[in-house]
Amino acid sequence: MKPAPFDYEAPTTIADALKLLGGHEDARPIAGGQSLVPMLAFRLARPSLLVDLNRIPSLAGIEEKGGVLRIGAMTRQAAVLASDTVKHHAPLLIQALENVGHPPTRARGTIGGSCAHADPAAELPSAMVALDATMVIAASGGERRVPADDFFIGAFETVLQTGEILVALELPKQTGGSAFLEVSARKGDFGIVTVAARIAVKDGRCTDAALVLGGITERSVRCAQAEHILKEQGATPKAIDVALAALPLDTVTMDSRLASAAYRRRLIPELCRRAIEAATTSKVAL
Amino acid sequence: MIGQRVLRVEDKRFLRGEGRYVADIALPFMREAYVLRSPQPHAKIVSFDASAALALEGVDAVYTAADLPASLTPIPCRIPTHGDMTPFLQYPLARDVVRFVGEPIAVIVASSRALAEDAAELVAIEFEPLPVVADAAAALDPATPKMYPPGNIATQWGFDLGKVDDAFAQADIVVEKSFSIQRHSAMPLETRGLIASYDKARSYLEVWGPTKVPHTNRAMLARMLGMRDGDIRFAEPDVGGSFGARGEFYPEDIFIPYFAMKLGKPIRWIEDRQEHFASINHSRECTFDVKASANKDGRITAFDVVLVADLGAYIRTHGDVVPSHAAASFPGPYAIRNYRVKATAALSNKTPSGTLRAPGMFEANFAREQIIDMMAEKLGMDRAEIRRRNLIKPDEMPWYVGTQSVNRPTLFDSGDFPGLFEESVSHFGWSAPLAKGEGPVRRGRGIVALVEPSGFGPFESARIEIDPAGFATIFTGASNQGQGHETMLPQVAAEVLGIAHDRFRVRHGDTAMIPYGGGSYASRTAVMGANAVHRAALAVKAKALAAAAQMLQAKEEELTLDGGRVIVTANPSRFVTLAHIARVLTPGNAELVPAPKDFIKDDHDGLTGEVFLRAIPSGTAVFSVHMADVALDIGTGELKIERYCVSGDVGRAINPMIVEGQLVGGVAQGIGGALLEELAYDEDGNLQTGSFADYLLPSSHEVPRIEALVVEKAKSLSNDLGVKGCGEIGISGVAAVLANAIAHALGTGARPTTLPLTAERLLDLVEPRP
Repeated sequence: MKPAPFDYEAPTTIADALKLLGGHEDARPIAGGQSLVPMLAFRLARPSLLVDLNRIPSLAGIEEKGGVLRIGAMTRQAAVLASDTVKHHAPLLIQALENVGHPPTRARGTIGGSCAHADPAAELPSAMVALDATMVIAASGGERRVPADDFFIGAFETVLQTGEILVALELPKQTGGSAFLEVSARKGDFGIVTVAARIAVKDGRCTDAALVLGGITERSVRCAQAEHILKEQGATPKAIDVALAALPLDTVTMDSRLASAAYRRRLIPELCRRAIEAATTSKVAL
Repeated sequence: MIGQRVLRVEDKRFLRGEGRYVADIALPFMREAYVLRSPQPHAKIVSFDASAALALEGVDAVYTAADLPASLTPIPCRIPTHGDMTPFLQYPLARDVVRFVGEPIAVIVASSRALAEDAAELVAIEFEPLPVVADAAAALDPATPKMYPPGNIATQWGFDLGKVDDAFAQADIVVEKSFSIQRHSAMPLETRGLIASYDKARSYLEVWGPTKVPHTNRAMLARMLGMRDGDIRFAEPDVGGSFGARGEFYPEDIFIPYFAMKLGKPIRWIEDRQEHFASINHSRECTFDVKASANKDGRITAFDVVLVADLGAYIRTHGDVVPSHAAASFPGPYAIRNYRVKATAALSNKTPSGTLRAPGMFEANFAREQIIDMMAEKLGMDRAEIRRRNLIKPDEMPWYVGTQSVNRPTLFDSGDFPGLFEESVSHFGWSAPLAKGEGPVRRGRGIVALVEPSGFGPFESARIEIDPAGFATIFTGASNQGQGHETMLPQVAAEVLGIAHDRFRVRHGDTAMIPYGGGSYASRTAVMGANAVHRAALAVKAKALAAAAQMLQAKEEELTLDGGRVIVTANPSRFVTLAHIARVLTPGNAELVPAPKDFIKDDHDGLTGEVFLRAIPSGTAVFSVHMADVALDIGTGELKIERYCVSGDVGRAINPMIVEGQLVGGVAQGIGGALLEELAYDEDGNLQTGSFADYLLPSSHEVPRIEALVVEKAKSLSNDLGVKGCGEIGISGVAAVLANAIAHALGTGARPTTLPLTAERLLDLVEPRP
């Protein structure tokens, strides 16, 4: 369990990091290292060069401006979890983070690292999709912005190209109450099924709804049809039943020793019902 | 001092990260080893080419079976077995066939571990796959190709006690069920490791890292290599856990020392976690088909059991001891005379197996205690009541079950099972109503009773030395993997000698300091190690009194040993300290033994005491009750343990805090085995668990606060201190009690019979899958 040989650089500016990443074949950025370091130890990842992003101060920080919350990609998960700004602006992210790992992993793990790694069972990608986040990507040619739902492509696959770095996540102010529920083998493990729900109810009408499943296939799945039903019919018990009948159960492809596809399919409506009910009765409803 | 909750003296260094484990030791000119292991479950080795690896700068050698002595035997089994198992023993390095994923094929020695792993990628091995025996069911199928000329079954045996068929014919009720226990094993935080260094000119081989049974293992190494015992030193450093698995004699225990001798440089091998999963003894995998009968009054009349264990690809040092214990002890703490068991030890292309804390008992308890609940349900009887009516009574002690395991009779020397049972039930509030389940939550309560053997022999040693400054050193034959020996053994000696607890040191596990040692297994240190220390302290005391009598010119019966001083009872102002006596008894001191005039004579041998103790073969029986309340989410299958209480009658608790720690730690480990842990294989014999991401250990979230009720009701009648071993009762009943609580929560007659009890399996019990 010793990594294959690799070179190591620790730039202090984004520009230098981009130069290093662009200039080497098989170079890889490393953020908190909570996934990449084990992969190196198992020799599942064999980069020629590791570009350590931990010494670039401008990559970390939480800032709210003009109704948009910008979280630097290298912000530690623990810092996000402890942030009152995040709690007021995007409580769903806090709810998701409570299910991510443990204090030691969150002290090192970063918000952007988890998104860029794109583990299909990770909580943060689902939260980003449910929060309509925008992923800010830097390349030597400049920045581009990609909606979270378009950022995640598949298992461990995003739109990030060689030579690019995810530099920040931008979140609009959360509308609606929210809940993040999951079943995992142990507290802190990746989810067998995760559900991120965000439901805005005003004057008995459902003005916005996001329902995102994780852990079931290569990437987070937005339940567009169920969201549509809730928005059309309101988050009434009857409408919730109809919405639950429209969940994309056929998208479940994850089938493993620790949880079969059938089990995951059985969990989805159960967790979705609980998440929708929790989101609509959420004290933090906005 | 006995009975006091003395804080563990060793914890200071462990908690500060100052423990000195084998990986913390380094020697000049030391090289690092990597063991190249089979990726194939069953295959012929057609060709092996290490030339590219050897060409790498910094690689010293790539050793294979051909580099071991031609006369080398396979690793022998050190425990009596049912029948001859020599055809199934493992050679330290695979010769022409590999039989499990992880079997050592070659040893790469290099300047660093990372480099050795680089070199491993350059070794080209060509395999010719052979048919795989995937599990015990396949092994039992006559159509399955044979792994060995005698076949795929290592042994079959059984017991047929009383009149089982008559009992079934006459019984009011009969129940039947099959149970399956998954393969899992010990996950010590510190993996295995060895450093071997050989002084060729003086013929002295030193090995750091052995534990558990260092003396036994040294003898095994000496025998296999044709060396003298005295030419080998095994030294136990701090060890981060064994649980029965670490410290057995493994292939590495021969080839690392041998290649260090061959290379002429010290070699260090530190097992990594990935290796650990494939190479440590696996354990537990077995099935029970159980039939049981009872009368209307709740009296259980017979057990009929078919036990099939999957021991993996080879027979290792533990032989078939795990199913042997399960078969011998299946009836548990109940007075049952009609008992039949047919046991089969099957072989498969998986990692070989050995013991894990409460070997065979965790498994048997899981099956027996559920069958008892089934009988209670069928009889409409309270589940505590049916147990109450069947427990062995104090006046029936000693109770001989009628079975034997590894040549030891299954004999309960002493115990007040009903007494502890009532105390436990009352402490827990067995009859108190359960809180109502809200929403999808269903609550359930479980109870199990069990008995564990403890304190197996055959022997143990202790030596106590008091130095002229009044400090004491205990040399124990027990080995230490973190259990608290350094605190507990001094408590026993301090009780006799009155020397302050903190003036003791404990040395263990080093064959250069300790001529004979039994080691640590079978919950034996409090029973064997502490009793040996107790008698050694008494020997020191006798010697001190004899010397003091001369020094104080008094009769021995006029003296008292008190607070580290020998005083004249009638005149306490006249005394000598143990330090003073030690000074006088130092060899060469002329005060009591003047120099001879014309001929040599015997001198003092210091203020020391040395004892070798033999145990009764069956050890001493320790009784325990587990009770738990659980909450089952019938929407998701998730389980929450809301309350857990374990009790144990340990006879006498030398340090109640350490006893409670053993019980609580045992339950925590048992929760892993019950709910999470599995060494899983696919149908082609490939190990699926290679890291702690897929071998799931319980964390603080899964383990609730555990109540430990330590009782000193029935002293052991087979040792001076009256103590019983407490190391295994904590783990032994966990799967059983959780299963019983889950079945109670379900309330439908459905029952979790397959471990681990995952949320998915539990949800399947709620109703059939849609």
